[in-house]
Amino acid sequence: MLEKETVERLLSTALERGGDYADVFCERRLSTSFRLQSGHIHESGLGITQGVGIRVIVGESAGYAYSDDLSIEALARAARIAALIARSHSGGQRSVRIDSARVSPFYDTSRTAHAPSQAYVNLLERADAAARAFDSSITSVNANVSDELQDVWIGTSDGRWLHDRRPLISLGVQVVSTKGRERGHGFVGDGGRTSIAFYDERTPESIALEAARISITNLQAVPAPAGEMEMVVGSGGGGVLLHEAVGHGLESDFNRQGTSLYSGRVGERVANELVTIYDDGNLPGERGSISIDDEGNPGAHKVLVENGILRGYMQDHLNGTLMGVGSTGSGRRQSFRVMPQPRMCNTYMPNGDSSVEEIIASTKRGIYAKSFAGGQVEISRGDFVFMVAEGYLIENGKITTPVKNATIVGNGPDVMTKVVAVGNDSKLANRHYTCGKGGQYVPVGVGMPTVKISSITVGGSNVA
Amino acid sequence: MSLSIDATSALDYAQNAVDEALRAGASQAEATLSIADRFSTEARDRAVTKLEQSTGRSLHMRVFVDGRKASLSTSDFNLAQLRETIAGAVAQARHVAQDPFALLPEPSENGARHDLELYWDDVARRDAQQKIEEALELERRIRELDPRITNSNGSHVGDSSSTTVLVNSNGFSGAYRATRVHRSSSPVALDGEAKRTGAYGTAARSLPHMEQVHAVAEKAVKRTVGLFGARKPQTMRVPVIFDRDVAASVLSDLFSALSAANVAIGNSWLVDRVGDRIGNELVTIIDDGTMPALLGSSPFDGEGVPTQRTAVFESGVLRTFLYDTYYARKLGARSTGNSSGGGVGPNNFFLQAGTRSQEEIIADTRRGVLVLDTIGFATEHASGTYSRGARGYYIENGEIAYPIEEFTIASTFPDMLAGIDAVGNDLRFDGAVVSPSFRVAEMTVSGD
Repeated sequence: MLEKETVERLLSTALERGGDYADVFCERRLSTSFRLQSGHIHESGLGITQGVGIRVIVGESAGYAYSDDLSIEALARAARIAALIARSHSGGQRSVRIDSARVSPFYDTSRTAHAPSQAYVNLLERADAAARAFDSSITSVNANVSDELQDVWIGTSDGRWLHDRRPLISLGVQVVSTKGRERGHGFVGDGGRTSIAFYDERTPESIALEAARISITNLQAVPAPAGEMEMVVGSGGGGVLLHEAVGHGLESDFNRQGTSLYSGRVGERVANELVTIYDDGNLPGERGSISIDDEGNPGAHKVLVENGILRGYMQDHLNGTLMGVGSTGSGRRQSFRVMPQPRMCNTYMPNGDSSVEEIIASTKRGIYAKSFAGGQVEISRGDFVFMVAEGYLIENGKITTPVKNATIVGNGPDVMTKVVAVGNDSKLANRHYTCGKGGQYVPVGVGMPTVKISSITVGGSNVA
Repeated sequence: MSLSIDATSALDYAQNAVDEALRAGASQAEATLSIADRFSTEARDRAVTKLEQSTGRSLHMRVFVDGRKASLSTSDFNLAQLRETIAGAVAQARHVAQDPFALLPEPSENGARHDLELYWDDVARRDAQQKIEEALELERRIRELDPRITNSNGSHVGDSSSTTVLVNSNGFSGAYRATRVHRSSSPVALDGEAKRTGAYGTAARSLPHMEQVHAVAEKAVKRTVGLFGARKPQTMRVPVIFDRDVAASVLSDLFSALSAANVAIGNSWLVDRVGDRIGNELVTIIDDGTMPALLGSSPFDGEGVPTQRTAVFESGVLRTFLYDTYYARKLGARSTGNSSGGGVGPNNFFLQAGTRSQEEIIADTRRGVLVLDTIGFATEHASGTYSRGARGYYIENGEIAYPIEEFTIASTFPDMLAGIDAVGNDLRFDGAVVSPSFRVAEMTVSGD
């Protein structure tokens, strides 16, 4: 998109007034999407996100400007605005040279274009037919497919010039079933940093049938109970629990600033010894994987918690530098219009020793949260909430009635001490999670084995 | 061709894009171009930690090929590339099912309102240094107001000044400028060993319409230290009072159920309920894009239909859903000027204020909960259920007894609307979706 020499000039301009570090982030993202509604292809979309963001770092401060105008005048103006954060002229003129560096990819970077439109349309029509055929009470099927190719080029004042190409495809199916005034909702999505060939094996029918089954289950569900009880979290999609209850609290901006409850606690016990949590940017084809992050650092495998002991935070360049540990490849951003933040990639818990059967059998009265629809956390205290997408009662060691609209509320550090069993069935969830932080959305992955929590607050409407 | 930042060249560029789409085979086309200057700064303690300033442009188009619709959005303004992208969108549209309702608004339906006072010079002209000083002042004030404030997530001051133009192939063209300014602060305090954070922010079209710096600092501090020593409440069914901001988030969820886009696919608990008494008679809910100088106002919506005032609920009775042109045609109604460009969105959407102060409503509550903050979100517009994590205060004998947290509140939207038995007089238009405080007669509070 830009010549190496242009980027060198911009980096030099950015550091004209001084500053510790500067980077230039160039992005060109092509996206295409098709949406099916009520049995027909309802609309289609096409998008180009293109521009350049220039950042200057001075200590804990950052100046930033972006431009979608790629003329040298506009880009130089952006570099001079970013430089305003450096208030003195003491740094003086500095000439920056950058050299191309190789990136080892964790996904297929050879694709340069989208598939033919008809191929996306076929996926949606197959999903629609499969969902409708599942049950006569299914009244509405909506499906969406989106596919994008994001090219990023990153130049840094410490001399690096890197390129990454990131594919990202997603197929989501939403099913509503109806019985009188009752409505049941089911949604399943899957995809990843891959191509449309992904759906040769993970067929649109398999995604649609899963969504249809959840919709019918929720149609038959009773209101969730309210109050304190045991909870068994299902493998895969249960990983939202880790993402919310622990993950966000271990992002380094909150910890460097001392606003997270995990600040200054590396090496301390923060969870039951059964708990180990990783964040990994290097899992092939996963949604949260990045060969390099948006600051040009490899998206590594990070040990966050090991046998209950806090091992480290997820670092971007600014916070990692200030904390003296460097980046862990966790600097991510939504687009060239915003500065990077420390973010999660794919966050998961590896296998424990218990079998799923014994975990369920040991639960007297509780809720089985098979998957979550999403969640949210408040960083300073770790209070979190998440919504159960598919849930059941557990009564006397058996999974019984489906429940709807359960909200789980708890506190991250508290719930991590209440993990009393970890299953041997760890897996990553369907690939459709997107994480929001400070108004920026990035694709992530989550995963977990079946886990039992000894007590948690379920916010249903049915007071026992 | 380059694009400079004035309305005339923006109109020319959009007109050119529409012409290009017709040449590429579209039967109708519409182009919306927006150009915005944005500034934002963050201060933490005595340091300016972020300084951002940019001009951003984006072009959004809808092309119709004989009742087949495709959209495109781009920030690449190279003309050759634009031609290629438009051709791509027209080609993609051919894979879309023909739909008799997928057309531009009729020429008679397009139009614009005037003199909405959306652009304020004081915002566009304010010096960067003043904004930086203001962020630093917020940081200073929160620490002065309470010694327990030891840290912060930052104080933010920012603004934007934008030009929006819309051109379509039916001959409509319109343009308007608008400003927006905001200030907020998020203090962190130590409550024994535990950290507590709170936040308060305000926004407006112009500086005089915004809450003052000291008021923002005071409210942010109150939200942070006010919950010191919070306990977990018992599980119970009691009246719940929603503070202004959380009341607005309830309205935001309600909007989704009122959106014709959701109604048309059955994803709303309000399907087939127009004309029914659903809410308490205190419930009058308005969508109005014509109110001068407000953040949810605009001369025309996302497809060039003039905005209007729509009574959605009147004294508890559901009068209408909210429509763009497509869903209005599909459901046999008229557009209410709620197109957001790609879907249906709110203008100024609000619950009409009542006569009592929040203090009076609390005094009138023997035992209940005042909710200041919720976390979580629902997607269950089909079933109408509501459930959130919450924090706030326990009310006993008409007085705030103590702060509470780590509980959920749950009910259903029909029960909540029917149960609204008190509405506050504290409505403030600091966003597009806003609400006064209100009380719901009974909800499930789940704690211990």
